[in-house]
Amino acid sequence: MTRVTVSFYSYFKDLTGCARTTEELSDGSTLDDLFRALVVQFPKLGAMRKATLMAVGVDYQDHTYVLREGDEVSLFPPVQGG
Amino acid sequence: MKQQVTITAEPINESALLSQRVMSQGTGAVVCFLGVVRGTEGNAHISALDYEVFQRMAEHQIDLLLDEMAKRWPIESVRLVHRFGLVKVNEPSLWVEVIAPHRSEAFAASQWLINGMKRAVPIWKKPVIGDR
Repeated sequence: MTRVTVSFYSYFKDLTGCARTTEELSDGSTLDDLFRALVVQFPKLGAMRKATLMAVGVDYQDHTYVLREGDEVSLFPPVQGG
Repeated sequence: MKQQVTITAEPINESALLSQRVMSQGTGAVVCFLGVVRGTEGNAHISALDYEVFQRMAEHQIDLLLDEMAKRWPIESVRLVHRFGLVKVNEPSLWVEVIAPHRSEAFAASQWLINGMKRAVPIWKKPVIGDR
């Protein structure tokens, strides 16, 4: 199994009711698999699928990224800097 | 290219930043941009914006943008300050200074950097209605 931490930012914290959680997925799981697991736990995230940006550590990754043990994943809506 | 990036909850001190400006014999243009909080968001009147930042990633993404900027234009230096937390109407949330030999590259690089920030740097804002 692969254990990762997930942080939520902006209004994703309101949708999930938390800033951080952990997930355990089978080895070889991708960010897409993680998102689907999170939607089971936090159904309100489901509607945000197309508007969700995902990062591992400090770099953006797409949904095909294969998760590794200890990855720090972040999920958030489109950014609004400036 | 010299670079200085600050992400802070403190108000942006423009006069201090201006007093620390460093130019070379080759400097021909200084473009300074202030992003200021507007008093309206959509149709609503607001008193402030509450900025949230994922700081470690924001610093990294700004570094990536600055690396790319240095490849595209012959920029001497860039300084950037972005606030987080509560920023009241008419206060600046973003201060950017780009120093270059010529105005064309200074303007182009500034515009490109700010557009890049809006696309890639994990900062979000929430409108605040009424006093807080």
